[in-house]
Amino acid sequence: MPIYNAPLKKIDETQTRRYAGLAAADFSSKAIHDACTEMLYTAEPHGSWEIYDYDTLTYTILSANPFTLNGNKIRQHLNHCNKVIVLAVTIGSNIEHIIETTFQTGKYTHALLLDAAATTAVEQTADNLEKNIDPFITSMGYKRIWRFSPGYGDWNISCQPQMLKLANAAAIDVSHTSSMMLIPRKSVTAIIGLIPQTDNFSPEKPSCNNCQQKNCLSRIKFHK
Amino acid sequence: MINLFDGAMGTILQSQGILQPSTCPELLNVKNSQAIIDIHKKYIAAGSTIIETNTFGANRIKLSHYGLENDIRLLNKAGVKNAKTAMQGHGKVAGAMGPLGRFIEPLGDISFDEVYDIYFEQAQALAEGGADYILIETCIDIQEMRAALLAAKAAAPLLPIFCQMSYSEDGRTVTGTDPQTAAITLTAMGADIIGANCSTGPEELIPIIKILSENTHCPISVQPNAGMPHLINKKTVFPMTPADMAKWAPMLIAAGATFIGGCCGTTPDHIAAINRSIKNIAEPIRHQQFPNDLVLTSRTKTVFIGSNFPTRLVGERINPTGRKKLAAEIKNQSFISVKKEAVEQTNAGADILDVNMGVGGINQAAAMEKAIKEIAQIVDVPLSIDTSDPAALEAGLKVYPGRALINSVSAEPDRLKKFLPLAKKYGAAILCLPLSDKGLPKTGRERIHIIKKIIAAAKQTGLHDNDFILDCLVMTIAAEKNAATEVLQALSLYRHELGYPSTMGLSNISFGLPNRALINSTFFAMCLANGLDAPIMNPYDESMKNTLTAAAALIGKDPNGRHYSMSVSQQDTPTTNKSVTTPTNILQAIKHSIITGEKENVAAMVEQALKNGYTSNEITEKALTEAMNDVGKNFGAKKIFLPQVMLSAEAMREAFIKIKEVLPSAELTDKGTVVIATVKGDIHDLGKNIVAALLENNGFKLIDLGKDVDAEEIVRAAIKNDADIVGLCSLMTTTMLQIDKVIAALKKAGARAHVIVGGAVLTQEYADAAGADAYAQDGVVAVKIAKKLIISKTPMS
Repeated sequence: MPIYNAPLKKIDETQTRRYAGLAAADFSSKAIHDACTEMLYTAEPHGSWEIYDYDTLTYTILSANPFTLNGNKIRQHLNHCNKVIVLAVTIGSNIEHIIETTFQTGKYTHALLLDAAATTAVEQTADNLEKNIDPFITSMGYKRIWRFSPGYGDWNISCQPQMLKLANAAAIDVSHTSSMMLIPRKSVTAIIGLIPQTDNFSPEKPSCNNCQQKNCLSRIKFHK
Repeated sequence: MINLFDGAMGTILQSQGILQPSTCPELLNVKNSQAIIDIHKKYIAAGSTIIETNTFGANRIKLSHYGLENDIRLLNKAGVKNAKTAMQGHGKVAGAMGPLGRFIEPLGDISFDEVYDIYFEQAQALAEGGADYILIETCIDIQEMRAALLAAKAAAPLLPIFCQMSYSEDGRTVTGTDPQTAAITLTAMGADIIGANCSTGPEELIPIIKILSENTHCPISVQPNAGMPHLINKKTVFPMTPADMAKWAPMLIAAGATFIGGCCGTTPDHIAAINRSIKNIAEPIRHQQFPNDLVLTSRTKTVFIGSNFPTRLVGERINPTGRKKLAAEIKNQSFISVKKEAVEQTNAGADILDVNMGVGGINQAAAMEKAIKEIAQIVDVPLSIDTSDPAALEAGLKVYPGRALINSVSAEPDRLKKFLPLAKKYGAAILCLPLSDKGLPKTGRERIHIIKKIIAAAKQTGLHDNDFILDCLVMTIAAEKNAATEVLQALSLYRHELGYPSTMGLSNISFGLPNRALINSTFFAMCLANGLDAPIMNPYDESMKNTLTAAAALIGKDPNGRHYSMSVSQQDTPTTNKSVTTPTNILQAIKHSIITGEKENVAAMVEQALKNGYTSNEITEKALTEAMNDVGKNFGAKKIFLPQVMLSAEAMREAFIKIKEVLPSAELTDKGTVVIATVKGDIHDLGKNIVAALLENNGFKLIDLGKDVDAEEIVRAAIKNDADIVGLCSLMTTTMLQIDKVIAALKKAGARAHVIVGGAVLTQEYADAAGADAYAQDGVVAVKIAKKLIISKTPMS
């Protein structure tokens, strides 16, 4: 099932609040709700994925053109995996125009919240795609560990062309710029490692500490 | 009679080494037919009375992976032949069709029609080969099952058809369909046997089988896996022994199954053990819930309509009649407002949504198809397809992954001829409208007379008692004094003479009268008392909803008025009045509104301040600038966060707009000129836009070059506008080198501007190394730095 456009029926307002940098703020719930509902009508979720064998010794995805992963964190993360899923998701290209137009008309806050809602929507699309894949991997005796995206930890985004190819992302119209940004901008690529259901391996949990985006609005602050 | 299926084929072929990973399993039907026949025989020896053909993946898509797409007929017919050879007339052969491995649009990338064609050619070959049944199995998407069922019925009209879906541990298919919804949808479409197979073991399937059996009159089939699979030494292993598996078989039969067998991981030994365990088991006694009630489904939800159930609201708002904006959007193929209406009506309590695409000059069928696809993706409630165009009706019914309502079927011959077969084919219910070619009926008696004609014609087409909802055809009392009483009479006749549920579009009753809301809600209460089951109405109308809540308590649909009491107590909850200190001084009030981001009041206050004699400079300096300074301080102290800063900026913008409007000559942008851009290769815009908005609303003149901007263009703009400051933004490690390039180019060109840089990946160190004058980690800091830089560059001489 390489293409699955998981329906979005609601956009998570708590996550949107976090992506807008408002996790700790007393801020209008209605404004966040309005942004989430507008995004719900605008987003066009699409997803594509493929499954591959993975060689933990050479850190290589055994695709037709084998792809060796660079980045210690991703290599550690996939330490127990002999299969991986490479996925790409997007919520379409209309979003950009709408956020930009909203900003230009002076609705700065709404634009900011729409952007945060769009980020939530694309992550939810990836979550929904994972859930859709679950029965397939369960039937093979596998379970998944959390998805890992280029740009996280020390995994350089220069791998995006290979990731897009492996995920068959052209089928959902996701491409990249020369500077390795995904087009449409609200798109994500990721690897999901698969381990046998009987394996108790639990990878290190995702943490903002491992991210290089120090000024990220949604960064969870760590006190010591 | 309990019928015993066989078990798995693929896992046995693999374990015997007959099937290699790169081999097409169905190719063995011709290349090694004896091996297939031998496995069939083992199952027959174990007691199987129905054998599945080895054709699970013998469809065009799966066979094309092996280059065998031209052998569909050959391999399917050979599959049937092998099973019949093994069976030697002592049992039945079920022609198996598995899923295609692709989802139908909009969930996936293949059209309904293409999927239909693929299943049609496989079912046709199986029927030609002599199969006794067509068995559609392991489907995880109701829409794929619908396409396969329609194709199988068309290709093999004389064969009974099994429809088996796969349910995950949460009791739903991967795409969200629960067994009740599947049973109702597939029964209405004409499935002969409904069941479940694969995904889970027998224990998990017991509640699924029970629900299936309670929601259809069709026989029930079940083929569980031998437990949940494990991966041992890189091989998928199913853990249940024949004895383990067999002990669940009587319980599956008690739950309602009369066809039982095995799926992945089961062997002839499993089937033999099941056979022993069910030897003396009698057929289950079935209890179908609500067999005669009208029921509609979406992909994931079932809604019953009738006197035994709460009143169901049919939301009427997805209708472009008299709504120019909605009509224009539909014409332009934009469905944002349609989706919005769908979500908001559902949130307002609609149980069913009516969908009308009646816009002149468009392709109605294409619009209906698109609307139904979009709405079905975003809400769970069932849909009513409201059209008079048969092509639009079929387009909508085809792509709808559930049992829809057709709105409407009148007694006009053309409507009966074209709409009823579509209702039968797609398993839809019909809204019967008492209209005939002889015109509008005046009395309740005339209405039921026409309705009876529609129902007779519908039954002749193959529809059943639970397929109808009757419209009362409401006309205005302004034109016909007995319009309301005749509707009430019709309701009563419908209920007592026919017993089908009733519906109506209520608001027509008050057309042409003042205070329509009063007439509508009064009439609504009367109709509810006379048995109205599903009003078609505006679910946002609070007076109608209040009437419904009160009427439900009065007519016994809300025992003890419990829901009514809760509803009233929620409405009566007093709102706490926040004590707000409003500053008395107008400048202080403006400042306060800017800080709190209350932009709605700012413009009026600025106008008042100007009237009070304050100059624009005084307002700017003593209210606006001071407010933004406070906002900046609060942001720096993490008392407020970026969206709150932006609210203040929005309020500031309103203030500036008002000053400009009242005093067009007011000089407000005198703090300096800033050229701002996101650098080449970077398409992030929002961060830069935020900085630009904050600078502009702090009195800077902004020249915003946008995103993905060349170094040359930035330099050109800086020189041309004699910029005081150039702001550069880069969000990515891959684009931040452009910062260095632009700074070098600015210096080379002799630009006098200070350079401030910022963006997610930038740091103070990077800014220093690149030769920037300053680094700003956010928009508020950027404003602060810009102000400082401007002061520091005030001419010395």
